[in-house]
Amino acid sequence: MRLRRALPGYLMLLPFAVLFVGFLVWPLLNSLYFAFTDYNGVRPPTLVGFDNFRRLWFEDERFRTALVNSFVYVAGAVTLTTGLALALAVAFRGTSWRDRIMRTLFFLPAVTSTIAVALIWRWIFTVEDFGLANTVVGWVGVEPVQWLATPSLTIPILVVMAVWGGCGYGMVIFVAGLNAIPEEHYESARLDGATAWQQFWYITLPQLKPVTTYVVITSLISAFQVFEAVYIVFRGVSSVGGVQDSGLMLVPYLYDMGFTKFQLGYASAIAWSLFIIIFIVSMIQLRVTRALREL
Amino acid sequence: MRRSLWPALGRIPLYLFGLTMLVPFYWMLTAAFKPVPELTRNPPSFVPDDPTLDAFYDPGYTPEQRGEQVVAGLFQRFADVPGGFGRFMFNSLFVATTITVLSLLLASLAAYALTKIDLPGKRVIFVVIVASMMVPWQVSLIPNYLIVRNLGWLNSYEGYIVPALAKAFVVFFLVQYMRSIPDDLVHAARVDGAGEWRIWWRVVMPLMRPALAAMAIFVVLAEWNNFLWPLIIVQSDSMANLPVALSRLNASNAYNPQHFAVIMAASLLTSLPTVIVFLIFQKHFTRGIALSGIKG
Repeated sequence: MRLRRALPGYLMLLPFAVLFVGFLVWPLLNSLYFAFTDYNGVRPPTLVGFDNFRRLWFEDERFRTALVNSFVYVAGAVTLTTGLALALAVAFRGTSWRDRIMRTLFFLPAVTSTIAVALIWRWIFTVEDFGLANTVVGWVGVEPVQWLATPSLTIPILVVMAVWGGCGYGMVIFVAGLNAIPEEHYESARLDGATAWQQFWYITLPQLKPVTTYVVITSLISAFQVFEAVYIVFRGVSSVGGVQDSGLMLVPYLYDMGFTKFQLGYASAIAWSLFIIIFIVSMIQLRVTRALREL
Repeated sequence: MRRSLWPALGRIPLYLFGLTMLVPFYWMLTAAFKPVPELTRNPPSFVPDDPTLDAFYDPGYTPEQRGEQVVAGLFQRFADVPGGFGRFMFNSLFVATTITVLSLLLASLAAYALTKIDLPGKRVIFVVIVASMMVPWQVSLIPNYLIVRNLGWLNSYEGYIVPALAKAFVVFFLVQYMRSIPDDLVHAARVDGAGEWRIWWRVVMPLMRPALAAMAIFVVLAEWNNFLWPLIIVQSDSMANLPVALSRLNASNAYNPQHFAVIMAASLLTSLPTVIVFLIFQKHFTRGIALSGIKG
Protein backbone atom coordinates (compact mmCIF):
# COMPACT_ATOMS: atom_id res chain seq x y z
CA MET A 1 0.00 0.00 0.00
CA ARG A 2 2.68 2.39 1.07
CA LEU A 3 5.00 1.47 -1.79
CA ARG A 4 2.22 1.76 -4.34
CA ARG A 5 1.93 5.43 -3.43
CA ALA A 6 5.67 5.93 -3.14
CA LEU A 7 6.20 5.58 -6.89
CA PRO A 8 3.90 8.45 -7.94
CA GLY A 9 5.28 10.36 -4.97
CA TYR A 10 8.85 10.18 -6.22
CA LEU A 11 7.67 10.95 -9.74
CA MET A 12 5.98 14.08 -8.46
CA LEU A 13 9.12 15.12 -6.67
CA LEU A 14 11.36 14.33 -9.62
CA PRO A 15 11.03 17.43 -11.87
CA PHE A 16 11.66 19.77 -8.97
CA ALA A 17 14.44 17.62 -7.59
CA VAL A 18 16.28 17.40 -10.92
CA LEU A 19 16.26 21.18 -11.40
CA PHE A 20 17.00 21.80 -7.72
CA VAL A 21 20.06 19.58 -7.83
CA GLY A 22 21.15 20.69 -11.31
CA PHE A 23 20.85 24.44 -10.80
CA LEU A 24 21.32 24.84 -7.06
CA VAL A 25 22.95 21.97 -5.16
CA TRP A 26 25.48 21.08 -7.86
CA PRO A 27 26.39 24.75 -8.54
CA LEU A 28 26.85 25.33 -4.80
CA LEU A 29 29.24 22.38 -4.54
CA ASN A 30 31.06 23.63 -7.64
CA SER A 31 31.32 27.10 -6.23
CA LEU A 32 32.78 25.70 -3.02
CA TYR A 33 35.37 23.83 -5.09
CA PHE A 34 36.19 26.89 -7.22
CA ALA A 35 36.78 28.94 -4.07
CA PHE A 36 39.83 26.78 -3.40
CA THR A 37 41.19 26.97 -6.95
CA ASP A 38 42.75 29.55 -9.25
CA TYR A 39 40.03 29.03 -11.90
CA ASN A 40 39.85 31.79 -14.52
CA GLY A 41 37.33 30.26 -16.92
CA VAL A 42 39.96 29.26 -19.46
CA ARG A 43 42.67 27.14 -17.83
CA PRO A 44 41.41 24.07 -15.93
CA PRO A 45 41.24 24.87 -12.20
CA THR A 46 44.14 23.95 -9.92
CA LEU A 47 43.68 23.61 -6.18
CA VAL A 48 45.39 26.38 -4.24
CA GLY A 49 44.17 25.62 -0.72
CA PHE A 50 43.12 28.61 1.33
CA ASP A 51 45.10 31.01 -0.87
CA ASN A 52 42.05 32.90 -2.16
CA PHE A 53 40.65 33.39 1.33
CA ARG A 54 44.04 34.42 2.73
CA ARG A 55 44.55 37.00 -0.03
CA LEU A 56 40.96 38.18 0.28
CA TRP A 57 40.86 38.60 4.03
CA PHE A 58 44.43 39.73 4.75
CA GLU A 59 45.86 41.39 1.64
CA ASP A 60 43.10 42.71 -0.60
CA GLU A 61 42.58 46.44 -0.02
CA ARG A 62 39.50 46.57 -2.26
CA PHE A 63 37.86 43.73 -0.34
CA ARG A 64 38.51 45.60 2.89
CA THR A 65 36.85 48.67 1.35
CA ALA A 66 33.93 46.54 0.25
CA LEU A 67 33.60 45.04 3.75
CA VAL A 68 33.74 48.37 5.57
CA ASN A 69 31.27 49.93 3.12
CA SER A 70 28.93 46.95 3.48
CA PHE A 71 28.94 47.06 7.28
CA VAL A 72 28.38 50.83 7.43
CA TYR A 73 25.64 50.57 4.84
CA VAL A 74 23.96 47.58 6.51
CA ALA A 75 24.08 49.19 9.96
CA GLY A 76 22.51 52.40 8.67
CA ALA A 77 19.98 50.79 6.36
CA VAL A 78 18.79 48.11 8.79
CA THR A 79 18.43 50.35 11.86
CA LEU A 80 16.61 53.11 10.02
CA THR A 81 14.42 50.76 7.99
CA THR A 82 13.37 48.71 11.02
CA GLY A 83 12.72 51.73 13.22
CA LEU A 84 10.72 53.50 10.57
CA ALA A 85 8.82 50.35 9.62
CA LEU A 86 7.77 49.90 13.27
CA ALA A 87 6.70 53.55 13.63
CA LEU A 88 4.68 53.34 10.42
CA ALA A 89 3.09 50.04 11.45
CA VAL A 90 2.00 51.47 14.80
CA ALA A 91 0.64 54.59 13.13
CA PHE A 92 -1.10 52.99 10.14
CA ARG A 93 -2.14 49.55 11.40
CA GLY A 94 -5.87 50.24 11.30
CA THR A 95 -8.54 49.17 8.84
CA SER A 96 -9.76 52.66 7.93
CA TRP A 97 -9.39 53.70 4.30
CA ARG A 98 -6.84 56.33 5.31
CA ASP A 99 -4.58 53.75 6.93
CA ARG A 100 -4.97 51.38 4.03
CA ILE A 101 -4.03 54.04 1.48
CA MET A 102 -0.98 55.01 3.51
CA ARG A 103 0.12 51.36 3.77
CA THR A 104 -0.25 50.98 0.01
CA LEU A 105 1.86 54.10 -0.59
CA PHE A 106 4.64 52.89 1.68
CA PHE A 107 4.64 49.49 0.04
CA LEU A 108 4.80 50.72 -3.58
CA PRO A 109 8.63 50.98 -3.71
CA ALA A 110 8.88 47.30 -2.76
CA VAL A 111 7.07 46.22 -5.94
CA THR A 112 8.80 48.67 -8.27
CA SER A 113 11.73 47.52 -10.37
CA THR A 114 14.93 48.27 -8.47
CA ILE A 115 16.56 49.38 -11.71
CA ALA A 116 13.77 51.88 -12.46
CA VAL A 117 13.99 53.13 -8.88
CA ALA A 118 17.78 53.47 -9.08
CA LEU A 119 17.43 55.48 -12.29
CA ILE A 120 14.92 57.80 -10.60
CA TRP A 121 17.40 58.42 -7.78
CA ARG A 122 20.10 59.02 -10.33
CA TRP A 123 17.91 61.68 -11.90
CA ILE A 124 17.06 63.22 -8.51
CA PHE A 125 20.73 63.39 -7.48
CA THR A 126 22.05 64.59 -10.84
CA VAL A 127 24.98 67.01 -10.61
CA GLU A 128 23.08 69.59 -12.68
CA ASP A 129 21.70 72.66 -10.92
CA PHE A 130 18.18 71.73 -12.01
CA GLY A 131 18.28 68.34 -10.28
CA LEU A 132 15.64 67.87 -7.59
CA ALA A 133 18.16 67.38 -4.76
CA ASN A 134 20.12 70.48 -5.78
CA THR A 135 16.93 72.52 -6.14
CA VAL A 136 15.82 71.52 -2.64
CA VAL A 137 19.17 72.34 -1.00
CA GLY A 138 19.13 75.57 -3.05
CA TRP A 139 15.97 76.65 -1.19
CA VAL A 140 17.98 76.84 2.02
CA GLY A 141 20.84 78.64 0.30
CA VAL A 142 23.24 75.73 -0.21
CA GLU A 143 25.36 75.69 -3.35
CA PRO A 144 24.71 72.81 -5.81
CA VAL A 145 26.32 69.58 -4.60
CA GLN A 146 28.12 66.98 -6.74
CA TRP A 147 25.99 64.28 -5.11
CA LEU A 148 27.09 61.22 -7.02
CA ALA A 149 30.71 62.29 -7.39
CA THR A 150 31.36 62.96 -3.69
CA PRO A 151 32.72 59.80 -2.01
CA SER A 152 31.50 60.76 1.48
CA LEU A 153 27.92 61.03 0.22
CA THR A 154 27.81 57.65 -1.51
CA ILE A 155 26.82 55.48 1.46
CA PRO A 156 24.31 58.03 2.86
CA ILE A 157 22.58 58.18 -0.53
CA LEU A 158 22.48 54.38 -0.72
CA VAL A 159 21.02 54.26 2.80
CA VAL A 160 18.30 56.76 1.84
CA MET A 161 17.47 54.58 -1.15
CA ALA A 162 17.38 51.45 1.01
CA VAL A 163 15.13 53.01 3.65
CA TRP A 164 12.76 54.43 1.05
CA GLY A 165 12.64 51.07 -0.70
CA GLY A 166 12.46 48.81 2.34
CA CYS A 167 10.37 50.38 5.10
CA GLY A 168 7.05 49.35 3.51
CA TYR A 169 7.97 45.68 3.52
CA GLY A 170 8.93 45.74 7.19
CA MET A 171 5.78 47.71 7.97
CA VAL A 172 3.53 45.00 6.51
CA ILE A 173 5.18 42.35 8.69
CA PHE A 174 4.98 44.56 11.78
CA VAL A 175 1.28 45.23 11.13
CA ALA A 176 0.64 41.48 11.05
CA GLY A 177 2.66 41.12 14.26
CA LEU A 178 0.76 43.92 15.98
CA ASN A 179 -2.58 42.42 15.05
CA ALA A 180 -1.52 39.11 16.58
CA ILE A 181 -1.06 40.66 20.05
CA PRO A 182 -4.09 39.70 22.20
CA GLU A 183 -6.29 42.68 23.00
CA GLU A 184 -6.65 41.56 26.65
CA HIS A 185 -3.04 42.58 27.36
CA TYR A 186 -3.92 46.17 26.54
CA GLU A 187 -7.23 46.08 28.39
CA SER A 188 -5.70 44.97 31.67
CA ALA A 189 -2.88 47.50 31.24
CA ARG A 190 -5.40 50.28 30.78
CA LEU A 191 -7.29 49.17 33.87
CA ASP A 192 -4.00 49.59 35.73
CA GLY A 193 -3.77 53.11 34.31
CA ALA A 194 -0.86 52.56 31.89
CA THR A 195 -0.22 55.40 29.45
CA ALA A 196 0.02 54.83 25.71
CA TRP A 197 3.81 54.97 25.88
CA GLN A 198 3.91 52.52 28.77
CA GLN A 199 1.67 50.15 26.85
CA PHE A 200 3.96 50.41 23.86
CA TRP A 201 7.07 49.89 25.94
CA TYR A 202 5.87 47.06 28.21
CA ILE A 203 3.43 45.21 25.95
CA THR A 204 3.88 45.99 22.27
CA LEU A 205 7.68 45.87 22.08
CA PRO A 206 8.20 42.65 24.09
CA GLN A 207 5.39 40.91 22.20
CA LEU A 208 6.90 42.00 18.88
CA LYS A 209 10.35 40.58 19.58
CA PRO A 210 10.09 37.53 17.26
CA VAL A 211 8.65 39.67 14.48
CA THR A 212 11.36 42.28 14.97
CA THR A 213 14.03 39.60 14.77
CA TYR A 214 12.52 38.40 11.51
CA VAL A 215 12.41 41.91 10.03
CA VAL A 216 15.96 42.68 11.14
CA ILE A 217 17.37 39.43 9.77
CA THR A 218 15.58 39.65 6.42
CA SER A 219 16.69 43.25 5.95
CA LEU A 220 20.23 42.36 7.03
CA ILE A 221 20.35 39.63 4.43
CA SER A 222 19.00 41.80 1.64
CA ALA A 223 21.22 44.75 2.61
CA PHE A 224 24.37 42.59 2.45
CA GLN A 225 23.28 41.52 -1.04
CA VAL A 226 22.80 45.03 -2.44
CA PHE A 227 23.89 45.27 -6.06
CA GLU A 228 21.51 47.09 -8.39
CA ALA A 229 21.63 50.46 -6.61
CA VAL A 230 25.43 50.52 -6.68
CA TYR A 231 25.64 49.26 -10.24
CA ILE A 232 23.13 51.72 -11.70
CA VAL A 233 23.70 54.85 -9.62
CA PHE A 234 27.43 54.79 -8.91
CA ARG A 235 29.17 52.64 -11.48
CA GLY A 236 31.87 54.67 -13.19
CA VAL A 237 33.52 54.08 -16.54
CA SER A 238 36.36 52.03 -15.06
CA SER A 239 35.03 50.71 -11.76
CA VAL A 240 31.82 49.15 -10.55
CA GLY A 241 32.15 50.74 -7.11
CA GLY A 242 31.78 54.44 -7.90
CA VAL A 243 34.26 57.25 -7.22
CA GLN A 244 37.25 55.88 -5.26
CA ASP A 245 35.28 52.66 -4.67
CA SER A 246 33.13 54.62 -2.21
CA GLY A 247 30.14 52.43 -3.08
CA LEU A 248 31.99 49.14 -3.50
CA MET A 249 30.23 46.39 -1.58
CA LEU A 250 30.31 42.60 -1.50
CA VAL A 251 28.10 41.65 -4.45
CA PRO A 252 29.37 44.45 -6.74
CA TYR A 253 32.92 43.29 -5.94
CA LEU A 254 31.89 39.68 -6.66
CA TYR A 255 30.44 40.81 -10.00
CA ASP A 256 33.56 42.82 -10.80
CA MET A 257 35.97 39.97 -10.04
CA GLY A 258 33.80 37.28 -11.63
CA PHE A 259 32.36 38.89 -14.71
CA THR A 260 34.67 41.73 -15.69
CA LYS A 261 38.02 40.27 -14.56
CA PHE A 262 37.02 36.59 -14.89
CA GLN A 263 38.86 35.51 -11.73
CA LEU A 264 36.21 32.89 -11.09
CA GLY A 265 38.06 31.12 -8.26
CA TYR A 266 38.70 34.34 -6.40
CA ALA A 267 35.13 35.54 -7.01
CA SER A 268 33.79 32.25 -5.59
CA ALA A 269 35.81 32.91 -2.44
CA ILE A 270 34.06 36.31 -2.23
CA ALA A 271 30.70 34.57 -2.67
CA TRP A 272 31.36 32.16 0.21
CA SER A 273 32.66 35.01 2.33
CA LEU A 274 29.32 36.72 1.73
CA PHE A 275 27.57 33.59 2.98
CA ILE A 276 29.83 33.34 6.04
CA ILE A 277 29.29 36.99 6.94
CA ILE A 278 25.50 36.80 6.56
CA PHE A 279 25.43 33.55 8.51
CA ILE A 280 27.51 34.87 11.41
CA VAL A 281 25.66 38.17 11.61
CA SER A 282 22.26 36.43 11.60
CA MET A 283 23.43 34.00 14.29
CA ILE A 284 24.67 36.86 16.49
CA GLN A 285 21.37 38.65 15.97
CA LEU A 286 19.42 35.52 16.97
CA ARG A 287 21.59 34.96 20.05
CA VAL A 288 21.24 38.57 21.15
CA THR A 289 17.47 38.42 20.78
CA ARG A 290 17.30 35.17 22.73
CA ALA A 291 19.49 36.60 25.46
CA LEU A 292 17.30 39.69 25.66
CA ARG A 293 14.19 37.56 25.90
CA GLU A 294 15.62 35.66 28.85
CA LEU A 295 16.42 38.82 30.77
CA MET B 1 -11.28 50.06 21.19
CA ARG B 2 -7.51 50.17 21.27
CA ARG B 3 -6.12 53.59 22.05
CA SER B 4 -3.95 54.98 19.32
CA LEU B 5 -0.36 55.57 20.34
CA TRP B 6 -0.09 58.55 18.03
CA PRO B 7 -2.68 61.20 18.80
CA ALA B 8 -4.26 62.67 15.68
CA LEU B 9 -1.88 65.61 15.65
CA GLY B 10 1.21 63.46 15.96
CA ARG B 11 0.25 61.60 12.80
CA ILE B 12 0.60 64.66 10.57
CA PRO B 13 4.39 64.28 10.16
CA LEU B 14 3.83 60.64 9.23
CA TYR B 15 1.27 61.63 6.59
CA LEU B 16 3.76 64.17 5.24
CA PHE B 17 6.38 61.47 5.22
CA GLY B 18 3.95 59.27 3.31
CA LEU B 19 3.69 61.98 0.70
CA THR B 20 7.46 62.28 0.39
CA MET B 21 7.48 58.56 -0.38
CA LEU B 22 5.66 59.53 -3.55
CA VAL B 23 8.08 62.28 -4.58
CA PRO B 24 10.48 60.01 -6.51
CA PHE B 25 7.54 58.48 -8.41
CA TYR B 26 6.17 61.94 -9.12
CA TRP B 27 9.57 63.14 -10.30
CA MET B 28 9.80 60.24 -12.72
CA LEU B 29 6.28 60.94 -13.99
CA THR B 30 6.87 64.64 -14.66
CA ALA B 31 10.24 64.01 -16.34
CA ALA B 32 8.72 61.43 -18.67
CA PHE B 33 6.24 64.00 -20.00
CA LYS B 34 8.48 67.06 -20.27
CA PRO B 35 9.86 68.30 -23.58
CA VAL B 36 13.67 68.45 -23.63
CA PRO B 37 14.05 72.25 -23.13
CA GLU B 38 11.80 72.15 -20.08
CA LEU B 39 13.58 69.08 -18.72
CA THR B 40 16.90 70.92 -18.43
CA ARG B 41 15.49 74.26 -17.26
CA ASN B 42 16.69 75.84 -14.02
CA PRO B 43 14.78 76.05 -11.72
CA PRO B 44 12.85 72.91 -12.71
CA SER B 45 9.09 72.99 -13.22
CA PHE B 46 7.13 70.93 -10.70
CA VAL B 47 4.16 70.61 -13.02
CA PRO B 48 5.03 70.18 -16.71
CA ASP B 49 4.08 73.42 -18.54
CA ASP B 50 3.68 71.67 -21.81
CA PRO B 51 3.19 67.90 -21.30
CA THR B 52 4.21 65.87 -24.32
CA LEU B 53 4.65 62.24 -25.39
CA ASP B 54 7.92 63.05 -27.18
CA ALA B 55 9.90 60.90 -24.73
CA PHE B 56 7.92 57.87 -25.93
CA TYR B 57 7.68 58.79 -29.60
CA ASP B 58 8.82 62.09 -31.07
CA PRO B 59 7.17 62.69 -34.45
CA GLY B 60 9.56 65.59 -35.06
CA TYR B 61 12.65 63.42 -34.74
CA THR B 62 14.77 62.42 -37.71
CA PRO B 63 18.30 61.03 -37.40
CA GLU B 64 19.72 64.01 -39.33
CA GLN B 65 18.02 66.43 -37.01
CA ARG B 66 19.72 65.06 -33.92
CA GLY B 67 21.06 67.99 -31.98
CA GLU B 68 20.55 70.21 -29.02
CA GLN B 69 16.85 69.95 -28.30
CA VAL B 70 15.63 66.87 -30.14
CA VAL B 71 16.31 63.31 -28.99
CA ALA B 72 14.85 60.05 -30.25
CA GLY B 73 11.77 58.86 -28.38
CA LEU B 74 11.87 55.55 -26.50
CA PHE B 75 10.11 53.58 -29.24
CA GLN B 76 12.38 55.11 -31.89
CA ARG B 77 15.49 53.70 -30.26
CA PHE B 78 17.07 50.21 -30.41
CA ALA B 79 16.74 50.26 -34.21
CA ASP B 80 18.67 46.98 -34.51
CA VAL B 81 16.13 45.13 -32.33
CA PRO B 82 12.97 43.98 -34.13
CA GLY B 83 10.10 45.56 -32.22
CA GLY B 84 12.39 47.99 -30.39
CA PHE B 85 11.41 48.67 -26.81
CA GLY B 86 8.28 46.54 -27.25
CA ARG B 87 10.54 43.52 -27.60
CA PHE B 88 11.92 44.04 -24.08
CA MET B 89 8.41 44.28 -22.70
CA PHE B 90 7.58 41.00 -24.43
CA ASN B 91 10.75 39.33 -23.13
CA SER B 92 10.00 40.39 -19.55
CA LEU B 93 6.37 39.32 -19.75
CA PHE B 94 7.10 35.99 -21.41
CA VAL B 95 9.92 35.04 -19.07
CA ALA B 96 8.10 36.13 -15.90
CA THR B 97 4.83 34.35 -16.69
CA THR B 98 6.50 31.14 -17.89
CA ILE B 99 8.69 30.91 -14.81
CA THR B 100 5.73 31.63 -12.55
CA VAL B 101 3.44 28.98 -14.03
CA LEU B 102 6.08 26.26 -14.29
CA SER B 103 7.79 26.89 -10.96
CA LEU B 104 4.45 26.88 -9.13
CA LEU B 105 3.44 23.61 -10.78
CA LEU B 106 6.75 21.96 -9.91
CA ALA B 107 6.74 23.32 -6.38
CA SER B 108 3.16 22.28 -5.66
CA LEU B 109 3.84 18.75 -6.94
CA ALA B 110 6.90 18.53 -4.74
CA ALA B 111 5.03 19.98 -1.77
CA TYR B 112 2.21 17.45 -2.23
CA ALA B 113 4.65 14.56 -2.35
CA LEU B 114 6.42 15.87 0.76
CA THR B 115 3.31 16.44 2.87
CA LYS B 116 0.59 14.04 1.75
CA ILE B 117 2.51 10.91 0.75
CA ASP B 118 4.42 8.76 3.18
CA LEU B 119 7.68 8.84 1.23
CA PRO B 120 10.75 7.20 2.75
CA GLY B 121 13.47 9.87 3.01
CA LYS B 122 11.20 12.84 2.63
CA ARG B 123 12.37 14.43 5.87
CA VAL B 124 15.95 14.54 4.63
CA ILE B 125 14.83 16.02 1.32
CA PHE B 126 12.84 18.74 3.06
CA VAL B 127 15.77 19.59 5.35
CA VAL B 128 18.06 19.97 2.32
CA ILE B 129 15.52 22.25 0.62
CA VAL B 130 15.16 24.44 3.71
CA ALA B 131 18.92 24.51 4.31
CA SER B 132 19.50 25.68 0.74
CA MET B 133 17.45 28.78 1.51
CA MET B 134 20.14 29.94 3.91
CA VAL B 135 22.75 30.31 1.19
CA PRO B 136 22.60 33.62 -0.72
CA TRP B 137 21.70 32.86 -4.32
CA GLN B 138 24.72 34.81 -5.57
CA VAL B 139 26.91 31.95 -4.32
CA SER B 140 25.66 29.73 -7.15
CA LEU B 141 25.94 32.52 -9.73
CA ILE B 142 29.32 31.66 -11.27
CA PRO B 143 28.81 27.88 -11.64
CA ASN B 144 25.31 28.48 -13.00
CA TYR B 145 26.75 30.85 -15.57
CA LEU B 146 29.24 28.17 -16.62
CA ILE B 147 26.54 25.47 -16.77
CA VAL B 148 24.28 27.65 -18.90
CA ARG B 149 27.22 28.56 -21.12
CA ASN B 150 28.13 24.88 -21.60
CA LEU B 151 24.51 24.06 -22.45
CA GLY B 152 24.62 26.78 -25.13
CA TRP B 153 21.84 28.69 -23.38
CA LEU B 154 23.51 32.09 -23.06
CA ASN B 155 21.38 34.76 -24.68
CA SER B 156 18.30 32.51 -24.85
CA TYR B 157 14.95 32.06 -23.15
CA GLU B 158 16.08 28.67 -21.82
CA GLY B 159 18.92 30.47 -20.06
CA TYR B 160 16.42 32.79 -18.40
CA ILE B 161 13.82 30.19 -17.52
CA VAL B 162 15.26 26.75 -16.73
CA PRO B 163 17.69 27.73 -13.93
CA ALA B 164 14.91 29.77 -12.28
CA LEU B 165 12.35 26.96 -12.03
CA ALA B 166 13.40 25.20 -8.82
CA LYS B 167 12.42 27.64 -6.11
CA ALA B 168 13.10 26.26 -2.64
CA PHE B 169 11.24 29.10 -0.96
CA VAL B 170 8.03 28.35 -2.87
CA VAL B 171 8.19 24.67 -1.87
CA PHE B 172 8.81 25.67 1.74
CA PHE B 173 5.85 28.06 1.72
CA LEU B 174 3.49 25.61 0.00
CA VAL B 175 4.47 22.80 2.38
CA GLN B 176 3.62 25.02 5.34
CA TYR B 177 0.25 25.80 3.83
CA MET B 178 -0.47 22.26 2.65
CA ARG B 179 0.01 20.93 6.18
CA SER B 180 -3.14 22.82 7.15
CA ILE B 181 -5.19 20.82 4.62
CA PRO B 182 -6.70 17.84 6.50
CA ASP B 183 -5.21 14.47 5.56
CA ASP B 184 -8.71 12.98 5.84
CA LEU B 185 -9.66 14.65 2.57
CA VAL B 186 -6.78 12.91 0.84
CA HIS B 187 -7.57 9.58 2.52
CA ALA B 188 -11.22 9.83 1.51
CA ALA B 189 -10.22 10.44 -2.11
CA ARG B 190 -7.88 7.44 -1.97
CA VAL B 191 -10.67 5.25 -0.62
CA ASP B 192 -12.76 6.39 -3.57
CA GLY B 193 -10.00 5.06 -5.80
CA ALA B 194 -8.47 8.34 -6.97
CA GLY B 195 -4.78 8.24 -7.92
CA GLU B 196 -2.20 10.56 -6.40
CA TRP B 197 -1.97 12.82 -9.49
CA ARG B 198 -5.71 13.20 -9.55
CA ILE B 199 -5.89 14.00 -5.83
CA TRP B 200 -3.14 16.58 -6.23
CA TRP B 201 -4.90 18.35 -9.09
CA ARG B 202 -8.55 17.92 -8.13
CA VAL B 203 -8.60 17.91 -4.34
CA VAL B 204 -5.53 19.71 -3.04
CA MET B 205 -4.78 22.35 -5.70
CA PRO B 206 -8.21 24.04 -5.46
CA LEU B 207 -7.75 24.36 -1.69
CA MET B 208 -4.29 25.83 -2.21
CA ARG B 209 -5.56 28.79 -4.17
CA PRO B 210 -4.75 31.54 -1.62
CA ALA B 211 -1.21 30.22 -1.13
CA LEU B 212 -0.69 29.79 -4.88
CA ALA B 213 -1.97 33.31 -5.54
CA ALA B 214 0.41 34.78 -2.96
CA MET B 215 3.36 32.87 -4.41
CA ALA B 216 2.39 33.68 -8.02
CA ILE B 217 2.47 37.41 -7.30
CA PHE B 218 5.70 37.02 -5.38
CA VAL B 219 7.42 35.11 -8.22
CA VAL B 220 6.05 37.31 -11.01
CA LEU B 221 7.33 40.47 -9.32
CA ALA B 222 10.73 38.97 -8.54
CA GLU B 223 11.20 37.72 -12.11
CA TRP B 224 9.91 40.91 -13.73
CA ASN B 225 12.44 42.89 -11.71
CA ASN B 226 15.28 40.37 -12.01
CA PHE B 227 18.51 42.01 -13.09
CA LEU B 228 21.82 40.37 -12.14
CA TRP B 229 21.19 37.00 -13.82
CA PRO B 230 19.88 38.51 -17.10
CA LEU B 231 22.75 41.02 -17.02
CA ILE B 232 25.18 38.10 -17.10
CA ILE B 233 23.51 35.84 -19.67
CA VAL B 234 22.18 38.42 -22.13
CA GLN B 235 24.58 39.23 -24.94
CA SER B 236 22.53 40.86 -27.71
CA ASP B 237 20.08 43.72 -27.17
CA SER B 238 17.21 41.65 -28.55
CA MET B 239 17.29 39.20 -25.59
CA ALA B 240 17.32 41.89 -22.88
CA ASN B 241 14.51 42.07 -20.38
CA LEU B 242 13.26 45.47 -19.22
CA PRO B 243 15.74 45.98 -16.35
CA VAL B 244 18.71 45.10 -18.58
CA ALA B 245 17.37 47.35 -21.35
CA LEU B 246 17.01 50.18 -18.82
CA SER B 247 20.55 49.64 -17.65
CA ARG B 248 21.85 49.76 -21.24
CA LEU B 249 19.80 52.86 -21.99
CA ASN B 250 21.34 54.46 -18.90
CA ALA B 251 24.88 53.36 -19.72
CA SER B 252 24.80 54.93 -23.17
CA ASN B 253 23.09 58.20 -22.19
CA ALA B 254 23.62 58.87 -18.50
CA TYR B 255 26.02 61.77 -18.91
CA ASN B 256 23.63 63.75 -21.06
CA PRO B 257 20.63 65.02 -19.05
CA GLN B 258 18.63 65.57 -22.25
CA HIS B 259 18.08 61.84 -22.46
CA PHE B 260 16.55 61.56 -19.02
CA ALA B 261 12.99 62.12 -20.25
CA VAL B 262 13.41 58.94 -22.30
CA ILE B 263 15.07 57.07 -19.43
CA MET B 264 12.24 58.08 -17.10
CA ALA B 265 9.66 57.07 -19.72
CA ALA B 266 11.29 53.64 -19.88
CA SER B 267 11.37 53.43 -16.07
CA LEU B 268 7.69 54.32 -15.99
CA LEU B 269 6.79 51.57 -18.47
CA THR B 270 8.87 49.10 -16.45
CA SER B 271 7.34 49.90 -13.07
CA LEU B 272 3.74 50.52 -14.08
CA PRO B 273 2.78 46.86 -14.75
CA THR B 274 4.01 45.61 -11.37
CA VAL B 275 2.40 48.51 -9.55
CA ILE B 276 -0.93 47.71 -11.26
CA VAL B 277 -0.61 43.99 -10.50
CA PHE B 278 0.16 44.85 -6.89
CA LEU B 279 -2.80 47.22 -6.57
CA ILE B 280 -5.18 44.58 -7.95
CA PHE B 281 -3.88 41.66 -5.89
CA GLN B 282 -2.74 43.63 -2.86
CA LYS B 283 -4.68 41.52 -0.38
CA HIS B 284 -3.12 38.22 -1.51
CA PHE B 285 0.28 39.79 -1.55
CA THR B 286 0.36 41.32 1.90
CA ARG B 287 -1.25 38.19 3.33
CA GLY B 288 1.50 36.11 1.73
CA ILE B 289 4.22 38.29 3.22
CA ALA B 290 2.59 38.26 6.61
CA LEU B 291 2.20 34.47 6.51
CA SER B 292 5.78 33.83 5.49
CA GLY B 293 6.94 36.40 8.03
CA ILE B 294 5.02 35.07 11.00
CA LYS B 295 5.65 31.42 10.32
CA GLY B 296 9.19 31.77 8.98
